[in-house]
Amino acid sequence: MSKSRLLLIHLLIAGVVGGSFYDIVTRQEHWPFSNYPMFARVHRSPVLSWFRLFGVTPDNREVPIVDHTYLWPLDQSRLPIGLRAVYQAEGNGPRLHDAVADALRRYEQRREAGLHKGPELRAMRLYSVDWDVVPYATNVDKPKSRTLLVDVPRENRQ
Amino acid sequence: MTRLLNRWWEFWFRPAEAADLGVARLLFFGLLALFYLPYDFSGWGDVSRAYLQPLWLFQNLHLPLFSPTTLHAMQIVWKIALATAAVGLLTRLSIVVVAVLGTYLLGLGHNFGQTYHFDALLVLAFWILAFSRAGDAWSVDTWRRRTSHPGAAEAQADPEYRWPIQLILVAQALVFFAAGVAKLWTSGSEWFVSNHLALLLQRVQYNISDADPLVSWGSYISTHAWLYHGMAIGTVIVETAYPVALFSRRLRVPMVLAGIGLVVGIRALMGPTFEHFLLINLFWVPWHRVVSAVPVRARRPVAIAPLVEEPR
Repeated sequence: MSKSRLLLIHLLIAGVVGGSFYDIVTRQEHWPFSNYPMFARVHRSPVLSWFRLFGVTPDNREVPIVDHTYLWPLDQSRLPIGLRAVYQAEGNGPRLHDAVADALRRYEQRREAGLHKGPELRAMRLYSVDWDVVPYATNVDKPKSRTLLVDVPRENRQ
Repeated sequence: MTRLLNRWWEFWFRPAEAADLGVARLLFFGLLALFYLPYDFSGWGDVSRAYLQPLWLFQNLHLPLFSPTTLHAMQIVWKIALATAAVGLLTRLSIVVVAVLGTYLLGLGHNFGQTYHFDALLVLAFWILAFSRAGDAWSVDTWRRRTSHPGAAEAQADPEYRWPIQLILVAQALVFFAAGVAKLWTSGSEWFVSNHLALLLQRVQYNISDADPLVSWGSYISTHAWLYHGMAIGTVIVETAYPVALFSRRLRVPMVLAGIGLVVGIRALMGPTFEHFLLINLFWVPWHRVVSAVPVRARRPVAIAPLVEEPR
């Protein structure tokens, strides 16, 4: 092994180990390095507060948008956390409206393409939902409270 | 000082068999190619920019968000490169393409809403392997070389076949260690003495993860304090102590199995999709021993000892 090769390998070792320790010590994330903080913060409250999208069918039923095929590649973690971040940063403004409108567009596009079997929707609503957390989530359809944040009708989706 | 340097050298550069790295490469990239084959990255191309929260990597390198058509083309090249890296065809070039495109494609989704952690280690492994001589054994490149030069010798044991494996395993150990430290640093002993894990196992039943739990056993566990306290303590111990697997031959197998159990448990009970993270464990296996054991397997069982031995 040549000296230059040895140097290169040591630089690589230093980069991987140093990058990992830097994020651990400074408690930051610089993907693909991370301090891996998932699940680290203790939950003290038995109440789960979560942002959730509900679709509104032509007969005015509200259906929770939780099936993973509905809005792929957005999922039930990335989507609500993203929406919450937008809401916390800019409130109930145009960016949140655009994000929900995009969800409705995506849902309908995928439904029309046969990529999921959800019902047709005439609107998409974003709620902040609170549940008293119980085993087996037996109350998932009966949350403690819901607050409507945005209501986007299909006509306005563009 | 000399002793320290010797230990350093022993750890990273003690000669290893080319098959250890070659077979790991074959299986790692091969299984990743199969895993990602049905995955379509082009969907990210038309996600609303309203969700955009750029990763530092994308922001600082000014990486654009490509259209669905461009992403589709990129993923085809990437998946082909995964396959050619697996079989060892133009190995170095293939792995470099896997690393460059893989960093972009795997990182892309993390710009929207939330940064997940299940593929970051894969990206580090891509880059480490891109600098390695992973194609020196069990590869089409070697086969072609031997065909054109019939007298060519087989690759001998060499430091080049150890350091990439060690660095990938160190990176993996630091992932577990970071997760354990984050829990202790953020929440202290409350993480395992409170009912936090019980609440966590119940919360994930409400469709809040990137995938739903495979089983609802988490709810059962959450109603038995001894179970969730035991699991919480076990989690923190395994995560924080995982690096010991790098140095202790006696604890290596139990720690690696415990780490696999943790990841499987997270997927089954909580949802997050860490399946492909498990593939990193391929680098723990001393493949040259497995390969040499195969012909005699029927006659006598062969114990698979860990690849990384304690410094002598």
